[in-house]
Formats: sequence, structure tokens, C-alpha cells
Amino acid sequence: MIESRGRKSPYLFLAPAIIYLGIWIYYPIAKNFYLSFLGTEGTHGADFRFVGLQNYHQLLSDELFHRALLHNLVWVLLSILVPVVIGLVLAVLLVHKRTRLFYSAIFFLPVTVAPIMAAVVWGWIYNPTFGALNQMLTLIGLDSLAQPWLGDAATALVSVNMIGSWGYYGFCTLIFLAGLQNIDPEIFEAARIDGANALQQFRSITLPLLKPTLTFVLVYTTIGSMKFFDIIYVATKGGPDNSTQIVAVYMFDLFIRQGDVNYAAAMSVVLTAIILAMSLLAIRNMTRKPS
Amino acid sequence: MSPALRGLLTRSGAGFVSNGILVIFVLISLFPVYLMFITSLKSQAELISNVFALPHDPKWGNYYLVLIQRGYYKAVINSLIFAGSVTVLTVLLSVLAAFAFAVFDFAGKRTFFVLVLVGLMVSEVSILIPVYNLLKSMNLLNTYVGMILPQIALGLSFGIFLMTTFFREVPRELIDAARLDGCTDWQLLTKIMIPVGLPGINALAVIEFLWAWNSFFLPLVIATKQELMPLSVSVIDFMGRFTFNYELVATTCVIMFVPILILYIFTQRSFRRGVTMGAVK
Repeated sequence: MIESRGRKSPYLFLAPAIIYLGIWIYYPIAKNFYLSFLGTEGTHGADFRFVGLQNYHQLLSDELFHRALLHNLVWVLLSILVPVVIGLVLAVLLVHKRTRLFYSAIFFLPVTVAPIMAAVVWGWIYNPTFGALNQMLTLIGLDSLAQPWLGDAATALVSVNMIGSWGYYGFCTLIFLAGLQNIDPEIFEAARIDGANALQQFRSITLPLLKPTLTFVLVYTTIGSMKFFDIIYVATKGGPDNSTQIVAVYMFDLFIRQGDVNYAAAMSVVLTAIILAMSLLAIRNMTRKPS
Repeated sequence: MSPALRGLLTRSGAGFVSNGILVIFVLISLFPVYLMFITSLKSQAELISNVFALPHDPKWGNYYLVLIQRGYYKAVINSLIFAGSVTVLTVLLSVLAAFAFAVFDFAGKRTFFVLVLVGLMVSEVSILIPVYNLLKSMNLLNTYVGMILPQIALGLSFGIFLMTTFFREVPRELIDAARLDGCTDWQLLTKIMIPVGLPGINALAVIEFLWAWNSFFLPLVIATKQELMPLSVSVIDFMGRFTFNYELVATTCVIMFVPILILYIFTQRSFRRGVTMGAVK
């Protein structure tokens, strides 16, 4: 490490990025916080004034916001249960195969498909009249299961999450595969000689040694599940009957369509705070490395 | 049954199951992409009568209709300008900052690094309202500059983080030797770090390009005029106006996807490196 206390060189290299983040990230976050304490109620027109915690009070009694937040949490759970588990299973199946590059390249392909595009194409697959999913169910004699997947409040949230999962398990596979390849194969060899079966090896070697990778994926998945927007906006716009409403889409609607800037800002502050709190642990882990 | 035979059977049974799972996921991964391609070549009549199979009479004219007659080629140009500018500027800012983090020791380094990491957690949702107001006050709504500037910020923290990881891999002896030869800091960056770290820079560029190309939230809000819409916003705008022309909507999707597919096929290693580096190292 080049000691350069008292020299300005590193600061010059750092300055453009930090100033940039200041203008487009830190300042907006602070401004959002400020806006969330303003309101127009009780005054005339667009005359903003300080209203204290009024917007936050409103959030406490806004049932749609509570539902949206709940849907975000359900999305976190589903994203861990489906694509993360699938990714882990696929990586374990692939790690000793010679064809792993080929397979993981194909599994990663959906990750390169834009979320809006995935939502469009899966919208057709789920379509009740000509959709591939219902046609396939009919083909194998399960036509009783055929239904309007995105149009029914009971199935919409899970169906939309499957679109997100489709674009995500390939990412998890790649990360887990890289993590597994970092584990010394001799450890497995020794376990095999000691008579450990595949399940025992997975439980007592793979999982513990994969823990840093697992932590990363879980944190990354959680953050992503709190802030995603594109798929819901395109596939259902929060419907039907608000069964897929999430915080980002609700906030977008409040701000763009209804122009309720300050209430939307309060909502955005709460979401940001939740994400930052959830990430705190991760930041601690990550900052141990540099220095 | 002898133990050896049973072992052989269970092993081949396990192999059968594991290969079966892999093949099923290959099909799941490819089917929607396949569906998008074949739908884009169908006629309206064939959309419902023939969902799964290749079109009987491929309608390549759909592409002419969408690209030229509907003026969709403008969205392709917009996306190239948008994603290209975002990529170049993000990589530039990331390389400069990562150079400082990876090579130098200076007061406040840890604090600055935490500040950068905070940016990893921030998304469009957290900055939308102030960014919109800021762009409005600067008269930058519905301009390329207005689309490009905030998008860079969203990928910048990741870029700095990834490049710092790559620059740390540059052998210490190389840097020390360059210093002994009297390299200035700038020369150290341009003559040693950038050439040696080029695979990392490529990996970062590929990922940032993919993100910008596929991004939707900010462009949706900032580019409301049709002449400025990038492909992502344009696809949804097109879908809103031609709701039942699925074949044409599919055509717009394929046009948006093909450049990414080509990029993905030719830069496999960079993609893999970029995605896994930040996570595993």
C-alpha cells in the first residue's frame, strides 16, 4: 500500500466519483427525507409547509401500504425459497461435471433478458385463452389446474414471482458454482474415504464452507426483493385487486399519477430505511476486507 | 443383489435424476426466449392456432413493419446512445476511484469506502422524487443527458467495488517496480493498472451495458417523448398502443434482445468474471 498521508493524489482520483454520488445519490436521499416532513394540507394549493410526522402517521394507518410492504416481504421469502434453492441445487449438481460451463451459460441466459421483456413474454405464457401454460396443462390431462394465473388475486403474486425467479436462478447458480469451486476437492475426497454419503457431505462440508457465498446471495436477494419494480409494473400494475401491489409501484403511482409528492417521499424514506437496516450487517462484513 | 451392483445402480439412478433436473431447467431457461422468437415471425391468425411450433410461413415483414414503418429504429439508436454513454462514463469514474482505493493508503479511506457501499443499497425508488425535481429544474427532462446522468449513479458503486477487487489482484511487485522507475501516479494508472486490469474493465463494461440497456424505471419517468424513448420504454409504449398485436410486440422484444444475446455469446468470460468476482472474492 502506498503511504500517502498529506498527499492529495488519491483524493483527486476519488473526487469525481464521490462528488457524482453526492449529487445523484446522497443529496436525493437527504432531500427525500426533508420532503417527507412537508405537506400541503391546511394551506392553499401548492404552498408547502412543515407538517412534522403527519405523513408518517398517515403511513401507519394506510392499509394499502401495509399490504404492499407485506407483499415485498412475501417476495423476499419466495425469492429465497425458489431461485436461491434452485440455484444451489443446480450448482451442486454441476460442480463436478465437465459440462458445467455449457449448462451454467444456458441457465444464465434468462438473467440477460430485461425484466420488462420477461414480464411481457410470461404474460403470454400465463394468458388464459392462448397461453402456453394452460395449453400444456390441458395436454397432460391436468386441465382442471388451468386458470387465469395473473388475473386471479389468489395466484397472481406467486405467478409474478415466478417471472422474477426465472430471471434469477441462473445468477444464483453462477455465484454458488464459483463458491463451490473455491472449496478444496481433497476435503470431499477425505470425507468419501471416511464413508460420508452425498447428503452428509452436503450438510457438513458444502454448507459450512459455502457460508460466505450463501450470506452474499441472501443479502443481495433481500435487497433486490425490496426495491424491484419492473416486472410488477409491466405484468400486473399491482392488480388484480391490489393482490400484487408492492411499495415501489405504489410510491410510483402516488408520485407520478396523483402528484402526492410528500407522502410518496415518506414512503420512499421508509423503504430506504428498511433496506439500509437489512444491509447493515452486510456492510460490516464487506468493509473488513479493504485496508 | 451384490453391494457393488446396488452401488452401481443407485449411482446411475442418481445420475439419471440429476441429468433429468438439468435438462428440465435447460428447457425452462430457453422456452420463453424461443416463444418470443417464434411469435415475432407469426401472423395474427397463427397466434392462437399454433402456439408452440415454428411458424408455417415466417413473416419477416414484421421486422420491416416495426423497425421502419413504425419508426422503431429510433429507439434502437436511443438505446445505443443511452447505454453506451452510461457504460463509458461509469467505467471511467469507477476506474479512477478504484485506483485510489486499491493502491493508496490515505486518511478517511474506510469512511469513503463505506459511503460507496451505501450506494449499492440505493435504488431508483430511493432517489426518484428528488432526481425528477432536480432534472426538471435544470430543464433536463426528455433529454439524453437527463436520462444518462442519474443512471450512471445507480451502477457506480458496484463499478467502484468491482474495479477495486480487480486492481487489488495486480501484483504488488509490479506497482513497486513502476514507482522505483519514477512513474507518476497518473503513469502508474495508465501504463500499469489499466493494461493489467483490462479483463476486469471489460467485465465491468459488459455488465454496466447490460444494466443500462435493460433499465426501465428512470427512463420511463424521464423520457416521456416518443422520439427519446430507449427500447425498454418503447416496448411497453408499443404494447400499450398495439395491445392485441402480440406478434409485433414480440418483434420489438426480439429487436431489444438480439444485441444483448450477441454481446452475451461473445463475452461469456467477461460476464462470468464480472458476476462472480464481487461475490466470491
